[in-house]
Amino acid sequence: MPTTAVTRITHSCHLIEIGGRTFLTDPWFSTRPGYYQGEPIAIGIADLPRLDGVLISHEHYDHCDLEAFASYRDRTVPLFVAETVVGEAHKHGFTDVTGLAPWQEVEVGGVTITATPAKHGVHEVTFVLRAGSDAVYFAGDTMLIPELAEIPQRLGHISLALLPTNGLHVRPANNMQVVMNADEAAELTAILTPELAIPHHYAFTKGFLGDRLITSSDKDPRRYQDASRDLAPGTSVRIVEPGIRTEL
Amino acid sequence: MNTTTQHTVVLDGLGPVEVSVADYGSGQPFLLLHGGAGPQSVTGFAERFAAAHDVRVLTPTHPGFGGTVRPEALTTVSGLAALYSALLDRLDLADVTVIGNSVGGWITAEIALLKSPRVSGIVLIDAVGIEVPGHPVADFFSLTMDQVFQLTFHNPDRFRIDPATLPPAARAVAAGNRAALTAYAGTGMSDPALTARLGTLEIPTLVLWGDSDRIVDADYGRAYAAAIPLARFQLLCDTGHSPQLETPDQVVRAIWDSADTDFSAFAR
Repeated sequence: MPTTAVTRITHSCHLIEIGGRTFLTDPWFSTRPGYYQGEPIAIGIADLPRLDGVLISHEHYDHCDLEAFASYRDRTVPLFVAETVVGEAHKHGFTDVTGLAPWQEVEVGGVTITATPAKHGVHEVTFVLRAGSDAVYFAGDTMLIPELAEIPQRLGHISLALLPTNGLHVRPANNMQVVMNADEAAELTAILTPELAIPHHYAFTKGFLGDRLITSSDKDPRRYQDASRDLAPGTSVRIVEPGIRTEL
Repeated sequence: MNTTTQHTVVLDGLGPVEVSVADYGSGQPFLLLHGGAGPQSVTGFAERFAAAHDVRVLTPTHPGFGGTVRPEALTTVSGLAALYSALLDRLDLADVTVIGNSVGGWITAEIALLKSPRVSGIVLIDAVGIEVPGHPVADFFSLTMDQVFQLTFHNPDRFRIDPATLPPAARAVAAGNRAALTAYAGTGMSDPALTARLGTLEIPTLVLWGDSDRIVDADYGRAYAAAIPLARFQLLCDTGHSPQLETPDQVVRAIWDSADTDFSAFAR
């Protein structure tokens, strides 16, 4: 059976190897004023391997950098995206684009991709990729919502979870929280009970002034690691630097 | 302690431009742009800011000010914005907050409009550049020096000088500053198209305004903030047109502690 592995590229952008296939999540390869990864972009677009699919959770620039990703060598690569991303993907020249609503699934070369629920400032989905007994859950930057508890009931055991942990708040929107925080991510870990969990979406910064005026967030993933030790002791939480490949 | 470095920046269509840049402190980078009052109007603030926090403050002298040479073809605020954006490239700086006072604020707004990823935020301090009906920019060029001090400061007596007592070299620099100001900003100090262009900005923006500014009043400042999506506006107490001179600690606090500011207290 092929190895299941994840290579962090940056932020919520990963390469996921499962069932002998390779998928890219939430592409982000550039920067704009007020949008910074806060960590390296470990792999450039030109150096990406051949992809069997690309998963995009929602249309925000730091998860859906199609302007940059349009330079990928093959725009016939299959894209599996939140329905709100379909038009934008076509606009950037991608020809094989499938919008998925929560609980809709598709099969790609023996890997089942299921869109799962999410809640964020805009419409978002999360994804489960399954091949045989291995399953990877990818949550771009969702809040913790009760529907996520249905994932193991409906889709079976999750082996590896990629979870946001920065609890991002938007100050001008009455300080609204739009991403789960470390404690909530640990709560979700306890629900999913994966063997391995990797936090992401924590180094992101809007810059010196943006972090003061626009957003507030927790940039320390160790808080998630600590919280998971209590709530989900059966899960190994690994903080992974960009560019590091982690096998299940 | 600061160092001053002469940089040669090559601009498209203009060729090489010499710019003198003073550099204070180390850490989080800030580009601090002076207004018509010249480079010495931001020097003390740069020192104070760099002493209070782990920041690196770069203060260029706009070519033509402070006795420096202005290339004949460099005649616009947007030209200065291109110069400083290229300077940030040359210095390879990231996550830069640009701060500008008066005409320096206008240059700052134009830098933001260039949308360089190196610039992560802007602070406009009693900036000029837009047109606000009913709230004209005071006609600096028709005022006596005494009137300029009267309109610029909350407490003019602290700053008033008699130009007649200045040595000839200082008078020559002041005349050069005035000529450079006219070349860049015209006598109207505004661009009628700027307000509409500001609506395209997505950059975090803090607009600070002296409550006693009579060069450009607080409602002009509110209009500036309203023109920039998500900009936050804050009044500074007992402060005129040059807050970095008159109440520098208020300015440092307003920037550094902006996460804790209740902006609802400053009605838009």
